[in-house]
Amino acid sequence: MRVYGIVEGARRINDIWKENGVNVRIVITDKRYVSSFQDAYEEFLSKQPLGQAGDFFVNSYVYIPTLAEEGYILDITNYAKAYGKLIDDFYPTLIKACEYKGRLYGLPQDTEARPLYVRKDVAEKIGLDVKTLPEKVRAGEFTWKDVYYWAKKAKDEGYVEWGLIHRKGSAHPDLIQFIFAFGGKLYDEKTGKLVLDVPAVYKWLFVEWKFARDGLIPKDMMAWDWAKQIHPTIVEGKTLFDIGGTWYWTEWQMKKYYHGRSLTPEEVKEWFAYTLFPAGEKGDKPVTLSQPFVWMINSKAGQQNPKYDELKDIYHELAFLVIVKASDPDINAIHSIISAHLPVRKEAAKLLKDETWLEELKRMNVDLDPTVKQNIKDIVEKTVNPINAQFLANVSYMLEYTHLAPAHPKYPALADIFTDAVDKVLRGEMTPEKAVEYVIQKVKADPDLSKNVEIVGKIPENWTFP
Amino acid sequence: MLVMVLIFYLIPLVMTVYLSFTSMKNWNVKYLFDLVGFYNYHRLFYMFQHDPSFKAIVLTTIVFILITLVVNVFGGLGLALGTFFLSDIVGSKFRLLWLLPRIAPIAVYSLVWYYFFHETSIGTLNSILMELGIIHQPIPWGQIIPWGAWSVIIFVNGLVGVSFGMIVFTSALNQIPKELVIAARVDGASAWTISKRILIPLLKWHLLYVLTWQFLSLLTTYCHLFLLVEWNLVNRDYGTTLALYVYNTAFLGGELDQGLAAAVILSVIGVSGGFLTLKLLGFEKMMKRPRGDV
Amino acid sequence: MRDIETKSRKSELLIILTIVIASVPMILAFSLLVLSSFSEEMVTNLKSFRPTLENWINLFQGKMAITGSIRVNIFEITLNTLIVALGVAGLVTIVSTLAGYALSRMDFRGRKHVMIALLVLHAFPGVALIVGVYLLYKLTLPQDPDLMRFYSFFYVILARGALEIPMSVWLMKGFFDAIPWEFEWSGIIDGASRITVWRKIMLPLVKPGILAVALFAFIAGWQDIIYVRTFLIDQTLATFIESNIESEFSHMPLIAAAGTLYLLPTIVFFLIAQRILLQGYSGGLKG
Repeated sequence: MRVYGIVEGARRINDIWKENGVNVRIVITDKRYVSSFQDAYEEFLSKQPLGQAGDFFVNSYVYIPTLAEEGYILDITNYAKAYGKLIDDFYPTLIKACEYKGRLYGLPQDTEARPLYVRKDVAEKIGLDVKTLPEKVRAGEFTWKDVYYWAKKAKDEGYVEWGLIHRKGSAHPDLIQFIFAFGGKLYDEKTGKLVLDVPAVYKWLFVEWKFARDGLIPKDMMAWDWAKQIHPTIVEGKTLFDIGGTWYWTEWQMKKYYHGRSLTPEEVKEWFAYTLFPAGEKGDKPVTLSQPFVWMINSKAGQQNPKYDELKDIYHELAFLVIVKASDPDINAIHSIISAHLPVRKEAAKLLKDETWLEELKRMNVDLDPTVKQNIKDIVEKTVNPINAQFLANVSYMLEYTHLAPAHPKYPALADIFTDAVDKVLRGEMTPEKAVEYVIQKVKADPDLSKNVEIVGKIPENWTFP
Repeated sequence: MLVMVLIFYLIPLVMTVYLSFTSMKNWNVKYLFDLVGFYNYHRLFYMFQHDPSFKAIVLTTIVFILITLVVNVFGGLGLALGTFFLSDIVGSKFRLLWLLPRIAPIAVYSLVWYYFFHETSIGTLNSILMELGIIHQPIPWGQIIPWGAWSVIIFVNGLVGVSFGMIVFTSALNQIPKELVIAARVDGASAWTISKRILIPLLKWHLLYVLTWQFLSLLTTYCHLFLLVEWNLVNRDYGTTLALYVYNTAFLGGELDQGLAAAVILSVIGVSGGFLTLKLLGFEKMMKRPRGDV
Repeated sequence: MRDIETKSRKSELLIILTIVIASVPMILAFSLLVLSSFSEEMVTNLKSFRPTLENWINLFQGKMAITGSIRVNIFEITLNTLIVALGVAGLVTIVSTLAGYALSRMDFRGRKHVMIALLVLHAFPGVALIVGVYLLYKLTLPQDPDLMRFYSFFYVILARGALEIPMSVWLMKGFFDAIPWEFEWSGIIDGASRITVWRKIMLPLVKPGILAVALFAFIAGWQDIIYVRTFLIDQTLATFIESNIESEFSHMPLIAAAGTLYLLPTIVFFLIAQRILLQGYSGGLKG
């Protein structure tokens, strides 16, 4: 649905024109969807200067600074002025993610939160009250020390194989939540530099290390396979906690992770509770992390028209209108519910709470392009139901606690080093102290990186966990 | 040929060297004249000196290239000779089989071995060994440093390289007049003697070719390693060769300038390595004057 | 090798056995890939096989990602790939047979240097040259959209082909070297021109070499990612698979199906090329 937003947006404009007798049509000729966002970005990067890239581009907000700096995407600040109401309807953090140096370069398309899922049946057996848990986490009373306590208890009493499961292969984005949860920073707005917050990073690595040493998290977590190990372990109830994303909710309903079948919405609801990512320790705040996706417009949109020079402004304005239409509340709401991503605007969130609308959608009684309808039919059938809508409504408060990873071109290099360090502490190849030194050494070894990263703080003395 | 080489090699080559002194990035021509001197080179050499992983990487590169090269050349030769003595139909089946690693998409190929050598019990190798009762705990193949990691990367890359040697040698063998072999057969020579006395001497040029070529390929490419490391199948330090290392540091984040400098450094190493091999193998003698002029 | 009555059965079995043993891991690994494409999850051990045709159906309908729900035309993508691969194979074969012949038979100044220069060029990996190739592309790109699309194919074939040239020329020179000069000489004495000799006498004799070169070039074109992604407007199978394998969201068995589909044309190409080029080849000295 992500890509179809634009198809649908164009169709709606065409319809409006038709009603008003305007004899111009927008035709969307090429739609691409690849699941690797990095690949899509690189393709856009090299093809944009050639005039071969698409007119619209939906990708992570992290690419905005680079693309804007190179002049590859359109500055839509002026067009957006006429649409103040619409802009205000988006969540402010998300609009902020679309800005670069005070100018607006895109409209949010979707976002997500990364909850901590708790297995309800296990929690009950060990006496962890999941009803009050989200509130306790929110208030910062339930911290990672408690997560450790309960994980250990569940494991010691033999109810689960693992206490905690998390993503594989990369520290970004799920695991860097630890940095924020321990009150750390990754980016300094004043200097525009990345920050290596030594105390927070140390505490994060210590937690991972401790969990792995006590057998609560697999030592080889970073090498696990998503479909064969991570998801089955979670849905089959072999772990008490897991750090996941909102999209897990529907993914479990779509893919056959549970003994060869997928879960029903009821099962998901009955088996899993979810909270914010807890605060590191008392005095810290709970967090979550989002990576909004953003509609961007190629600065060369319309260039293939021979009269481009005369029509340039019209083309640009038109392109803006298309992404405005692609952000229509219903399009956004449909995308949210079928992919378990969070809506980016309040109007869409409202629709998700509207049961009649959901019913209509389930029956495909909505104003959509026929091909789009055809293509999303199966998935709508599987995912559109009150339980999933309720879930989205329930987690949307998390956006108030959300953090964004820095949109800094050097951030991926830093995140890579973190990945390495996490792997090493989990395996026990390094103690947390050694791993932090390793990270610092790695940063300093690269002149480019050390120029862009400020190293702050020291390893805290006498800090204990749990 | 010369035109093509000129347009697609020499001109880009000169540009590459030039651009490695600029701050070219994100495919934007506006950086074309933004000269930064030796900064890109300086950064790489600085990293060579200070990166804690660098020692492991150099060691890995040397071991990896030497062993893989031997596997490639002798494996290819062995397969070509082996299938040569088989009937055509059987022989070509085997050749096709051994061609698979080369024709498989790199990502899929890496995926296949990811599951094969996976360090937990879902890994094919581990599950077979456990089923047979040989081991009771899964073995983290790629994480045993250094030899476990080295074995995995050598194995995976070795298979790709073998097919190169195999095809070249097979084609060369097919070109040898069969009378030579048949005559030897009639005299009662075994396959082994025929290979040693007749076939291998005739393959000299091809041996030189495969050896030098594979050496350069192993030195400068990294694609069959990239995902194995990325997916944590092998230990990062002992699974990374110099080529992978410089590309990882240089191309992350679309910074072309760094990548180009890295490529220039690698190429310099490659070129000197190439010359050395040629000298050692007696290239001069083989380039004797042709008898082609009328 | 056919028609050798004196060969012993026993040694043939021994050879087969050795090769089979050496091939076991590979046979295993690739069968598991094919098997996985018919399964609900990746097959890595006996327990994980649950048969289904879903992956293949989804693949042919072009349904790749569950949450993306966008469809692609897999046949068109395959065709694009084929155009590039055949283009590269054809181009490289022609250029390298000509150049290989020249380097093998004609004594011009700097011959040795050309050979060495070609080798040196190989030390520059394609990814290092791409920026230069890119700038040239930018300069020569036509503005008309239809022409642009055609040109992008044309350019990818040329540029990707060029990367294969040094290797192929070296290889072909070796094959021409192996042919005794007397063959050619007899033709020239009969009054044939150099080109005719090349075409009528030499080409048939280096067929095995041509097969090898064509095969390598085809594979190179078939699996190239970087050049294709940078220049070609349309998608090919390699870029398609590569960009969908990002492991967090992709359904791996579907990738396995795509991977299997990807292997087939090359296998067919190998078999056909082998038949055409080696058929009727007796390899004997005649006259």
